[in-house]
Amino acid sequence: MSKYLDLSIKEINDLLKSKKIKPLDLVLECFARIKENEDLNAFITFDEENAIKKAKELENVEVDNLFFGIPIAIKDNICTLGLRTTCASKILENFIPIYNATVIDKINEKHMIIVGKTNMDEFAMGSCSKTSYFGAPHNPWNKDKITGGSSGGSASCVSNRIVPLALGSDTGGSIRQPASLCGIVGMKPTYGRVSRYGLVAFASSMDQIGPMTRNVFENASLLNIICGKDHKDLTSADKDEEDFTRFIGEDIKGMKIAIPNYFVSSVVSSQVLDKFNNIVDLLKKKGCIVDYVDIDYIENAVTLYQILAMGEASGNLARFDGVRYGYSYPNPKNLEELYTKTRQIGFGDEVKRRIMVGSFILSGENAKIYYDKAMSIRDDIKKSFEEKFKKYDLIIGPTTTDVAYDIKKEFNDPSKSFLDDVLVIPVNMAGLPGLSLPVGFSCEKLPIGLHIIGNYFEEAKMYKFAAYLEKELSLNLDPRSKAKRGDRYE
Amino acid sequence: MSNYKTTVGIEVHAELKTKTKMFSGSANHYGKMANTCTNVVDLGYPGTLPTINEEAIRLGLRAALVLNCTINKHMHFDRKNYFYPDNPKNYQITQNRTPIGVNGYVLIETSKGPKKIRIHDIHVEEDTCKSIHNESISLLDFNRAGVPLVEIVTEADMESDEEAVKYLEKLRELLLYADVSDCKIEEGSMRCDCNVSVSKTDKLNPKVEVKNIGSISNVGEAVRYEVERQIALYEKGEVFKEQTRRFDDKTMSTILMRVKETGNDYRYFPEPDIPFIDLTDEFIKNTKDNLPMSSDERRKIYINAGINEVNVEKIIQNRNVSDYLSKFDDINLVIASNLLLGDIAAYLNKMEMELDDTKLTNDKFKDVVNYLDKGKINSKIFKEILDDLMETDDNLDTILDNHSIKEMGEDELVSIINDVLENNKQSVDDYKNGNSRAIKYLMGQIMKETRGNANPSFVNQKLIELLEK
Repeated sequence: MSKYLDLSIKEINDLLKSKKIKPLDLVLECFARIKENEDLNAFITFDEENAIKKAKELENVEVDNLFFGIPIAIKDNICTLGLRTTCASKILENFIPIYNATVIDKINEKHMIIVGKTNMDEFAMGSCSKTSYFGAPHNPWNKDKITGGSSGGSASCVSNRIVPLALGSDTGGSIRQPASLCGIVGMKPTYGRVSRYGLVAFASSMDQIGPMTRNVFENASLLNIICGKDHKDLTSADKDEEDFTRFIGEDIKGMKIAIPNYFVSSVVSSQVLDKFNNIVDLLKKKGCIVDYVDIDYIENAVTLYQILAMGEASGNLARFDGVRYGYSYPNPKNLEELYTKTRQIGFGDEVKRRIMVGSFILSGENAKIYYDKAMSIRDDIKKSFEEKFKKYDLIIGPTTTDVAYDIKKEFNDPSKSFLDDVLVIPVNMAGLPGLSLPVGFSCEKLPIGLHIIGNYFEEAKMYKFAAYLEKELSLNLDPRSKAKRGDRYE
Repeated sequence: MSNYKTTVGIEVHAELKTKTKMFSGSANHYGKMANTCTNVVDLGYPGTLPTINEEAIRLGLRAALVLNCTINKHMHFDRKNYFYPDNPKNYQITQNRTPIGVNGYVLIETSKGPKKIRIHDIHVEEDTCKSIHNESISLLDFNRAGVPLVEIVTEADMESDEEAVKYLEKLRELLLYADVSDCKIEEGSMRCDCNVSVSKTDKLNPKVEVKNIGSISNVGEAVRYEVERQIALYEKGEVFKEQTRRFDDKTMSTILMRVKETGNDYRYFPEPDIPFIDLTDEFIKNTKDNLPMSSDERRKIYINAGINEVNVEKIIQNRNVSDYLSKFDDINLVIASNLLLGDIAAYLNKMEMELDDTKLTNDKFKDVVNYLDKGKINSKIFKEILDDLMETDDNLDTILDNHSIKEMGEDELVSIINDVLENNKQSVDDYKNGNSRAIKYLMGQIMKETRGNANPSFVNQKLIELLEK
């Protein structure tokens, strides 16, 4: 079997341009890998027939850009015309969208080939992808471990080199946390950088689509393609076109880096903290100025998230009622039964729990007590971050408090599951861009990620910093070569 | 019974006259085949997002301005959450915290004199689907889903059915003349719900909301019915809870729909998909400057032109007539309005046409009014040529020629009068000797000679002029 998909996108692009390979070679190899790795449960739906058809059509089209003919996987909460989009929920098990998300149109314009829809937590609600109606995906580094979530399927398939690229979505860490646990690069861009049109909403004021890739350059390149003002999304930002790769290769000497004290507090495990401290030492050695700072209320971000995201979700998920699309309870006695049974049977426990919490929080006087209060503290967090960015280029910390845990581990207290996300959620509260970069491994060879937070719309600076570290560390991030000797893991 | 005080508050929903919907690009059309004016946004499809119809914001602002409201310049939308099949997202995008206008008023004329009805707020929102319930199934038409609306909420300021009706008539007139809405109650583009309560004291008793009232006069009926019903209950010593009833126009009574156990919990929160909207001073000024002429300004013009009060009200009630009159700056408005409200209205009524469907051009209308004004033709001739005016492309002079009606020039008329005077010297002498009946005879002779083609009052005036010479 060929190994084109182990090459960088640039190398594949050269082969396509010189006609040494065809897009079909990539698609066939990709589906061979999908089938080889079915035990990872990374995909909910594949689209082999259409992918092959598209690849053949591209044989007559000029190779016009870096991503021409490259297979890509899409998180299953992004609407794809004619291709089942389930949100990993029974309620949308047979839902086939009649329109494309804006990001899908952009991907199609670049002649990329969508191979399938990736597994995730149901409606992106979870941090381990175990709330999927289709069962949890597995971590390629150790199949007994979680991938993280909610974009677990996207992280798993990119990590194991099944596809070079995937799209995820991040509401409270759902790109960065699984990227960290699976050892790939995951970017949650600035809120508004990428159109949300066609992303099935969880919490509208936080949701953001972003690229999940094997390396920094490809991540920045993919963001180049999917970003931009969209008249269909009023929250999308109108920014001048820029090349996010433009600073890659530049030195980081003199960059001012802040580390929030909370990010290196006792919430973080010692193995992750040790690795993080090594990185801090490296940064200092390379001429970065590193300070420890306090950011107001970031320790409360998870609580705020639970109030605001659940509140928004309770409204966003109200439309799944069995009336117009998706699962509908058959032969209901009356309207009440149609609603209650459709939602009782259609939604999983975590989704129902969050809808109930959200409804409670918005109910009557609670809206003022909880929701309004949370909104005003959210503003304070934002202001505190903004204050820091007047002095610092970037803010960093570990992406996760620990490495991937056992897939069998159960939490008796549902609120504890959010603790996986304490380090990533503040970024969604502020709407800032955040990137997770693999920077090492635990003693059991599980990836550890560095969380890089930039100022609004300063993704290019984050990519420069990440690319520098990536090159400096030169880690072998291919889980398939884990058994080989001589690779640098530490 | 008269020692009960009636308190009425009214909520009006008016659909805005926009080309497209409030939060999507699909068409805003009444009367199209079901579910043909709809798209994925209107259907509440997963992943779709609202956009903003700027024209709807402008019309909402216009409405707020004509209702004398304070404008919320920094405003946003909110989600109102409730489950019902006619509500595609199971939340309605509306304005709760920052309605576009607050603290306004409408001035009405009552039998007791003028009165201010205070407007609590006016907010912009989206309409729901139209649902049609059969015995076992319900059908949904999404053409109405997402149509832009303003909801106008009064304070509980009205104290009688008369005031309720007067308020609604005035409100309708204001919205209609501001080009905000076509306010067709029969098509549902204006809908009224009223809250009625009666009390012997200043403390308000539980209110009854009456929905589904199909005309302004029926609002009066509904208020009257409710007042009597509620008083009868209190007189019997009964109490009741706040409730919603619907008006039944067959029995002219109200029927219980539901009793409100607790206040509705709509779990409002700010709509995160739509950023705050800033109504700039420039936008507000521009909207204000471009307001169409109001009904009251038009009334003033008509009264100053000498049109009688009955006709003034008739014109105001018929926006088409008023707009038509506005096209001409120097014609006799009394004559013009008489034609439009009289013979022309009768013609249009008979033919089931609108003025625009006829061949009466502005030029023709202006000529007709001027000829009548100057006595070149009279109303009898106007009646004779009306069909031709409306149905042919000929100009007025050609039509008159075709009817062998000679436009009676002043010179020609003078020469006819002189001939008649020459041939009836006796009558001239009689006139000069003070016999007033002589002039009637002379008039008769002149009209005979002109074969009725002259305006009698003009002839009369000319005749006296020549006799006095």
